[in-house]
Amino acid sequence: MTDLTPITALGGTAPRVLGAARLTLSERPELALASLALGRGAEPPAPEGLALPGPGGLSVQGALAAFWTGPDQWMVEGADLAETDFAARLQQAAPGAAVTEQTDGWACFEIAGEAAQIEALAERLVNLPRDAYAPGRASRTALHHMGVFLLRRSPDRLAVWGMRSAAGSLWHALSDTMARMEALHDS
Amino acid sequence: MLIPHPLLGLRDAQEFTYLGDAALIGRPAPEAGEAAFCDYVFLRDNPAGIHRELWFHEQGDRSWLVVTRNTLTHEILGAELATDVARRSA
Amino acid sequence: MTRIDGGLTDRGTTLGFRFNGRAYAGHPGDTLASALLANGVQLMGRGFKYHRPRGAISAGSEEPNALVTLRSGARAEPNTRATVAELFDGLEARSQNHAGPLERDLLAVNDLLSPFFAAGFYYKTFMWPKAFWEKLYEPAIRKAAGLGALSGLPDPDAYDRGYRHCDLLVIGGGAAGLAAALAAGRAGAEVILADEDFRLGGRLLAEGGRIGGRPAADWAAEAAAELAAMPNVRLMTRTTVFGAYDHGIFGAVERVADHLAAPGGKVRQTLWRITAKRSILAAGATERHIPFRDNDRPGIMLSGAIRAYLNRWGVTGQRQAADPVAIFANGDDGHRTAAQLAARGVPVLGVIDPRADAPNLGGYETFAGAMVTGTKGRLGLTAIEVMRNGRAEWLSCGLLGVSGGWNPNVHLASHHRGRPVWDEDHLAFLPGEGGPAGLIPAGAAAGQGGTAEALADGLRAAGQALGDLGIAPAPVELPAAEAEPARQEAFWHVPGKGRAWVDFQNDVTVKDIALAHRENMRPVEHLKRWTTLGMATDQGKTANVTALAVMAELTGKAIPETGTTIFRPPYTGVSLSVLGGGDTGKAFRPTRLTPTHAWAEAQGAAFVEVGPWMRAQYFPRPGETHWRESVDREAQAVRAAVGLCDVTTLGKIDVQGADAGEFLNRVYANMMGTLPVGKVRYGLMLREDGHAYDDGTCARLGEAHYVVTTTTANAGTVFRNMEFARQCLWPELDVQLISTTDAWAQIAVAGPKSRELLSRIADGFDLSNEAFPFMACAALTVCGGLRARLFRISFSGELAYEIAVPARYGQALMERLMALGADLGATPYGTEALGVLRIEKGHAAGAELNGQTTAAMLGLGRMVSQKKDAIGAVMSRREGVAQDTRRLVGLAPADPARKVVPGSHLFAPGAPEDTAHDQGWITSACFSPHAGHMIGLGFLENGASRLGETVIAANPLEGERVELRVVSAHFVDPEGGRLRD
Repeated sequence: MTDLTPITALGGTAPRVLGAARLTLSERPELALASLALGRGAEPPAPEGLALPGPGGLSVQGALAAFWTGPDQWMVEGADLAETDFAARLQQAAPGAAVTEQTDGWACFEIAGEAAQIEALAERLVNLPRDAYAPGRASRTALHHMGVFLLRRSPDRLAVWGMRSAAGSLWHALSDTMARMEALHDS
Repeated sequence: MLIPHPLLGLRDAQEFTYLGDAALIGRPAPEAGEAAFCDYVFLRDNPAGIHRELWFHEQGDRSWLVVTRNTLTHEILGAELATDVARRSA
Repeated sequence: MTRIDGGLTDRGTTLGFRFNGRAYAGHPGDTLASALLANGVQLMGRGFKYHRPRGAISAGSEEPNALVTLRSGARAEPNTRATVAELFDGLEARSQNHAGPLERDLLAVNDLLSPFFAAGFYYKTFMWPKAFWEKLYEPAIRKAAGLGALSGLPDPDAYDRGYRHCDLLVIGGGAAGLAAALAAGRAGAEVILADEDFRLGGRLLAEGGRIGGRPAADWAAEAAAELAAMPNVRLMTRTTVFGAYDHGIFGAVERVADHLAAPGGKVRQTLWRITAKRSILAAGATERHIPFRDNDRPGIMLSGAIRAYLNRWGVTGQRQAADPVAIFANGDDGHRTAAQLAARGVPVLGVIDPRADAPNLGGYETFAGAMVTGTKGRLGLTAIEVMRNGRAEWLSCGLLGVSGGWNPNVHLASHHRGRPVWDEDHLAFLPGEGGPAGLIPAGAAAGQGGTAEALADGLRAAGQALGDLGIAPAPVELPAAEAEPARQEAFWHVPGKGRAWVDFQNDVTVKDIALAHRENMRPVEHLKRWTTLGMATDQGKTANVTALAVMAELTGKAIPETGTTIFRPPYTGVSLSVLGGGDTGKAFRPTRLTPTHAWAEAQGAAFVEVGPWMRAQYFPRPGETHWRESVDREAQAVRAAVGLCDVTTLGKIDVQGADAGEFLNRVYANMMGTLPVGKVRYGLMLREDGHAYDDGTCARLGEAHYVVTTTTANAGTVFRNMEFARQCLWPELDVQLISTTDAWAQIAVAGPKSRELLSRIADGFDLSNEAFPFMACAALTVCGGLRARLFRISFSGELAYEIAVPARYGQALMERLMALGADLGATPYGTEALGVLRIEKGHAAGAELNGQTTAAMLGLGRMVSQKKDAIGAVMSRREGVAQDTRRLVGLAPADPARKVVPGSHLFAPGAPEDTAHDQGWITSACFSPHAGHMIGLGFLENGASRLGETVIAANPLEGERVELRVVSAHFVDPEGGRLRD
């Protein structure tokens, strides 16, 4: 093991957490991420038993979760696997597919709370119909001019993956909108 | 505008980058020569009416689409994956 | 006081407010206008041009006159319509557009000079001398004219934005809108009902009518309550849908906190972008007035507005309750106002009606076949002149209601150039064809203005929308509404001398329209621009149709032949703050930070914006007083020892697949398929037109795995173009692309001691020149097992590497390299030193790759493979491009003390310095610590064969000329020995 100390996308040594508007926003640096693309004409693999979903889909199997990112392309998440060589593990489970390390290319922020609050937040952030972020759905879209993946893991959880280099701006957009929502409910 | 993405349904045009005439898919063979490339690179149709054009879903699934649009009314008559169009014309 | 019983205000609660410093009281539910009228205040402002006293003419958002500045200090908001400003405790308002007190406006002298202010006056008068316009005329005119003034202070409030999607957007919550929303809501459609008012009901709140035997306002409240309880219906009050855009997209502003004294922590307003599959335009109608002499005095109002103040606010609108009220109407609608006033015990003088067969609804006198031909009252109406049977008579009058018919609010239906259509039965323009797709006009907006008709039409529109949406309708039975007499006769203005206002906000009179007619400004487009009619902030809501009718009369044509006027967004004014959506200052756009950003900040680095990125520009040390000192030191450290620079911002694209090599052969001008695994090659991309596009490196990590780099600036577009090539040009190739720019922190380790420094962290990796030569690449581990990639590439001309680690470790790696390299002189360097080093080495960058240069010009002509096709290959060989003889050269001043300025153009000594003799230009320049003077790079005609010659760099902008020697672009180590050792 290296003795170098990693930092989170927001620059801390511990994940940042913030509560507002009856929602909790937290940084998820422990999630690993790798992209998986099929060769021309190849059949989709099922790495470690994970079914790769169709357009707009999100699927989970054990420590792995996959979401569709484009024709014949997916992102695969690994729970608590950020400190491992996740791309190598995925490549082993999906030989022949093009696998690329993405853990540090993206930063994940997760929002937890009541479904209605999550939806009220989401409609202030992204221009998508609600079924695009219904439970079990994943969408790529723009949020404050930044490209993001929205993953509605469950009614009470919404994950936002954004570019790691813009993590500060993304956190600002999310937390600022939550603060504005909180003020609305104050009165 | 809303673009009817063939895989994702209606998505706001803000997610897309516009390129223009879908004729750009038909790149000449290298042996076609300079005149064919001059046509390809510099001469575009810009009709007032029905137009087939290329849109890139940059803030989405990174698909290039061929969108058929009436440039007078902005009515969109259809959209398909550009790669399907390219394969058909190859 | 003119407050009577009834209405929808909360009389149990009193709100104190101030207008022009005087204290008044009102109630919750009041607008500023209703509260002022209740206090007997009719005078609310001054006219735009003539500074004549003005009062509210309406009770809604069409108001042209009663514009006030609300609040004070940074929150002062000019041009707020008193008729829609919701009253709150402590409200402060000031009238606008006067010098001195409102009652004694010094600028009212303009009214005496009115003959000079006719239409076209400015165009004709202030033309000569030309120079006077900017310095004298315009400032003076701007000071005298115009409306309220901005505070000039930053907006202290927060704004928000959001996006809503629905099956059906209902615009307007009056009779038609409520009926439509009920029908669609009960059928289960996702419905948004938006209304600009703070209370749903529209004219149901104002008309005083009955539905199902009960007050219509009660029915509206019940309908609103039912809708509020439906989970599939969202009510958005205080929300103006201001524009219709393509494909069912609407812009709307929700005034979240405008009705509060201060927003507290709340946002002031929210900008909503609403995407609706279908929409119903139930925006109601706006009453027209009838121009007559001196029709602009305070106390002259629209008849329907008087009815609204009476029924909704319990206010009668005169200055004194005993003042008689008269109505001037061309239809039955005005008679309803008179009958209602009379029934409430208000003194009614009568209804003046030009129709010979004018009716009488009871309780007042009808002046049939009569019209109003003049008015009196300096600051408010005191008398009207009534002309009947050729005899004029002055009658005492404190409030005059005018009713000229109703114009459907077709605005949104015309936002896509949908042309309204004249309807002779309704004497109005109705929404026509060509409007926004999926938008269904209903109710008064469609000419169905009676309560019963509007309710039925709302149901009809909802049924049509549900049918389009494929949603089965649910039964809706609406209670019956009373029939309202609505007969009217065309009567557009009272002929005669004097000024009769058509457009109150821009002070345009019937005479101005007649003048425009005489001057042949007859098409409505010309009329508007010549007179400014309809071009004020209200877009002529109360003026346009009347003006058209007046012009039609003058030309002897019918109204539809004369023209139509359409409207543009926004329906009512939208503040720039809310359009900004709330993100200002540093939050205005996203910022990208490098993995070592916090560390660089701690070192005191200066930063520079490079697109969205913030990059360390240089790292000043104590005692350094000028940026050049820092930059020179950093550059020298790289040449003499070892420097460290975060280069993460370069675009990185992972290219995989069986055909990856072939794909890269086609997107790069040079060969990539032949690159051995474990090697890096410099790559040049051309545009299809044959010019140089982008450069970078291409590393082959495996048989079917490359990673290519792009310039920072082009990272996004290169990826887009590569996807275009993959999907659209060569879909048969097996290749997959994905960006990995952010995934890896990449640090340049450059300088003669870079190998020594890296050997201290590379876990047993053999860095010797034999094992890892120039242009090698490898995966390895560093610092005890951290995954890394190492590239032996150089941008500085020195022995150099770039090392990449997972981004989370970038900062720790930088710190470790600095610590371990302290004895070697390890020095961080920023983008300025990076630029100096590359200019000294003659490497092209953005200034050279500017889209106008060819590979040959860059000295890279041999890189363009003649053996294969690639993007731009064919066109790079065409005439004019291939024959371009300009070449990249180095330039050094003959006098080392002189400056070399980028952008200067190059000339042969003695040649005229003009376009015809231009021989090239300087692209980049810097002070070279290596050379000890300034150096430059530039493109020069036949540059390759002119080494040693002298040229003149001319900078005509600053009147400078410098003699330069043409030298090799490689100021440092032209043989390239250093980077290969």
